[in-house]
Amino acid sequence: MTALIALGGAVFYIVAYFTYGKSLEKNVIKADANSPTPAVRLRDNVDYIPANKFVLFGHHFASIAGAGPILGPAIAVIWGWLPALLWVWFGNLFIGTIHDYLSLMASVRYDGRSIQWVAGKLMGENTKYIFELYVYFAMVLVIAAFMGVFGTLASKSATILTASTLFMVAAVIEGQLLYKTKLPFWLSSVIGVALTLLSLVIGFAWPFINIPNLNTLYWLQFIYIIFAAALPVWWLLQPRDYLNSYILWGGVILGAVAAVVAFKGFSWPVFTSFAAKTISNTASPFWPTVPLVIACGALSGFHSIVGSGTSSKQLDNELSGLFVGYGGMLMEGMLSTLVITSIAAYGFAVFNGVADKIASANIDLARMGTDANYFGQVGFTVVNSKDIGIGGALGLFTKSFGLMLNSLGIPVKFGTTFGGLWASAFVLTTLDTTNRLARYAFQELVEPIKKVSTGLHGFLANRWVASILAAAFGFFLIAKGGNAYTALWAGFAGANQLLASIAMLTAANWAKRVQKVSGGVLAAILIPAVFLWITVFAALIWYLVVIIPVTAAAIRGILAGFVVVMLILDVLLVINFFRSLGKEYKEAKAKT
Amino acid sequence: MEIYFFIGKGGVGKTTVSAAWGAGLSNNGKRTLVVSLDPAHNLGDAFDQAIPSRIKNLSPNLDAVEVDTDRMISNYLTEMSVKMKNTYRYLSTMNLDRYFDILKNSPGIEEYATLEAIKEHVSSNKYDAIIFDTPPTGMTIRVLAMPRVSIIWTDRLIDMRKKILSRRKMIENVQGKFEAIIEGETVVLTSEEKSDPLMQELVNYRGEMKRLRELFSSENCFISIVTMPEELALSETERISESLKGFKIKLRKILLNKFMKIEMPPEEIRGKIEEQDRVTVKMKERFKNIEIKEIPLLKESPRGFSQLLGVYNKYLK
Amino acid sequence: MVRSTRKQKQKRKLKKFLESLKKFFRAFDKGMKEDSTSFIQKELEEYENVFALLTTGVFAGVPSPPTGLVLRILPYMQLEISIMVKRSAGLEDVFGEMMGTFDID
Repeated sequence: MTALIALGGAVFYIVAYFTYGKSLEKNVIKADANSPTPAVRLRDNVDYIPANKFVLFGHHFASIAGAGPILGPAIAVIWGWLPALLWVWFGNLFIGTIHDYLSLMASVRYDGRSIQWVAGKLMGENTKYIFELYVYFAMVLVIAAFMGVFGTLASKSATILTASTLFMVAAVIEGQLLYKTKLPFWLSSVIGVALTLLSLVIGFAWPFINIPNLNTLYWLQFIYIIFAAALPVWWLLQPRDYLNSYILWGGVILGAVAAVVAFKGFSWPVFTSFAAKTISNTASPFWPTVPLVIACGALSGFHSIVGSGTSSKQLDNELSGLFVGYGGMLMEGMLSTLVITSIAAYGFAVFNGVADKIASANIDLARMGTDANYFGQVGFTVVNSKDIGIGGALGLFTKSFGLMLNSLGIPVKFGTTFGGLWASAFVLTTLDTTNRLARYAFQELVEPIKKVSTGLHGFLANRWVASILAAAFGFFLIAKGGNAYTALWAGFAGANQLLASIAMLTAANWAKRVQKVSGGVLAAILIPAVFLWITVFAALIWYLVVIIPVTAAAIRGILAGFVVVMLILDVLLVINFFRSLGKEYKEAKAKT
Repeated sequence: MEIYFFIGKGGVGKTTVSAAWGAGLSNNGKRTLVVSLDPAHNLGDAFDQAIPSRIKNLSPNLDAVEVDTDRMISNYLTEMSVKMKNTYRYLSTMNLDRYFDILKNSPGIEEYATLEAIKEHVSSNKYDAIIFDTPPTGMTIRVLAMPRVSIIWTDRLIDMRKKILSRRKMIENVQGKFEAIIEGETVVLTSEEKSDPLMQELVNYRGEMKRLRELFSSENCFISIVTMPEELALSETERISESLKGFKIKLRKILLNKFMKIEMPPEEIRGKIEEQDRVTVKMKERFKNIEIKEIPLLKESPRGFSQLLGVYNKYLK
Repeated sequence: MVRSTRKQKQKRKLKKFLESLKKFFRAFDKGMKEDSTSFIQKELEEYENVFALLTTGVFAGVPSPPTGLVLRILPYMQLEISIMVKRSAGLEDVFGEMMGTFDID
């Protein structure tokens, strides 16, 4: 079954690429090989430099693939493996890839300007502000969610905690080798990979860093975020980001091969129930809440930013856009497919491994195997309970992944640690970069305070204060929020999907008014855009009404505040969209 | 070599004193140069002959020059314009002149030119003594402050430049020498301090400013204030003194000029005489450790070498 | 015309394969090198931008170094000024650019 799904996924995506993708390229983008891209026209070898499309694909994929495509599906499997897989396949096909590809190409047509800028041009200036506010909310929430996710995993696995910490040391050393010595690049890279493997090995052979206390882990992460975000990039962030790509490719390739070789059947329930307890141990209707769980992997607003941030400035030819933008997203879908596959095949084995603890929690493991509905009710608890100790959704993934890699002859402990390092390396990197960005965004957002009080503004705009505030916000949400990382992740995903909404609406807007697309082709963009908007709106209302009341009292106010603001802005957004759709906007035409 | 600066507000008799001092020193055998830095040049009037913007010999041992700062500024800008036209290929299509118009009037350009003039003359080894007749007080203070201010800025820019070069080096260690394309031209970027013309320029400039700062604070630099026995002049003198202290520049003498010595003052000017005496007392109190010389109000402004020499011999020695 | 032997055909195929393998590794190498320095590159640009801003502030009425200093180093700042000009053109989109570099996912 693993082989079937893995290969099936690959086939599905490849077919999609050559049919749906090509059709988009021809009918919507109207890609012209002879029309020079900004990388060629505005070339300065600094920002604008045409890159080989394979290289660019690698960059783009490494940028969009973080911990998201792993975490989301790992939470979503409580609905059963099939619903999660269907969303990863079809959500990707009908919305995600269109979103990524169109954002990339629209940006290319606008001299590589960000999708935020394009949205402002096409749908009015306040769309830009809505965008920025969503981004800030998303950043605060992702800091909280990821702190929770890493904390939950690390508190139950000294191995992964040790490996992650040692990996940071390895990254610092790699940074010194790469940037401060004249050692040949290939040699430094080999040493870097070797040090990474060493961290893994030491991690499971001698897990000396053992911190089971969740609160302590939150504090440590808090300090880490502030410290890391203050360092010059070459110390830790850059070399770690570099080594991360090796881990990523290693994980994807090993995972794919293992899935085929393992040839294992799925023991995980195909489908548990429509309203399984997926988010916050509360009944979550698959529609509309699935986008609040599986974001990246099916659709992620942040991809549009990445695509229009660097990739669009490095596209060598319009025809390469399909491979990079569309293909990149498909690849991420493939990654999520592998995640679901490994859990579907080995998840139950993981449960069996802690059968006694599950029994102590008064949960009937045997019944979980036969009664799908029951599974949907207790699955969340099994995965996240501190006493059972699987380590949350990431723990479920890493353990399943370890078992799957074992089919290649890789010792389970190694595979599990590898999976854990993979997820946590990306989580910790995201915490670092997000804090940097949140710091900047915060400084922008408090500008108006200058008019009221220069002293206060000076204090708030100080980079240390801005940095600590962003981290503290996230810390508060997770530490005082009862470690409800699924709720915070859902909040983040909500903001993320709203960003995707803006990008989709912008793309639809661009397609209609600039590219003059109509009929069935336009419908292929417009319908998903509208569907997405409706789904996310409904999901957020559900979140407000159902999830927020069950979160810890201390954070309820802030979360509710975020969601209400997001909802109001969302309505404004759709008004902007429809208003601008009709206009004969002269500025909408891209500069040639 | 000894250097003399006479500072004071307009109308106190700076130029006369500078010229007289020049006459005196040259008469005593010292090869002397008197430089007028004051845009409102009066040096020629004092010596009763036209003094050009190039050094002119007035008498054995005595040369004089009136610095033309405007022309200096134009020259610098032209020089820079030529340099830039060579390196900034695409800027030559832009209107460079507009930028230079801005620079011509920017705050600090006159100070720069004045400082360059001081530097130029101080570096010549033809003289035993150079006397500077300074511009109005404000400008002079700013000029004297410039080396310190420049060093602060230069240090900051050097720091930043080091950060830039260090990062370029890091990228170079990975990718080899890298180039940027600026408006169609490929430029190889240096990462070594020694081969970075900008860094070298910064370092050189810093060195020059350091030497000037040391010069102003050295034992061979004699800075004196020319003032009058009036309340306003006293306040001004105190201000100048404070500034000099701040720059760690020693004040050598105070020259009380236009001192009125009248036996039987008429009714109308009795108040003035009282003010004069009062101010003189105050001044001697405030500046206890500094030599204060009184120069009386002369019947006629001294003009020409011999009259100036007379003033020197009678009152300034 | 001499027909090429099987051996020669095989040799040619092998050569082609090795060529494309070389190309792959070269592209991989280049890609990885860029990967390992992208953030440093962005940081470098920021510093060059600030350097230019500090020095040319006199044109914008911003506190700037003494004019003398500016005059001396202006002739060497072609790169920094072009970066500053480029940045200024993209000022309304700085956030977008930053977000594109520091990815979150």
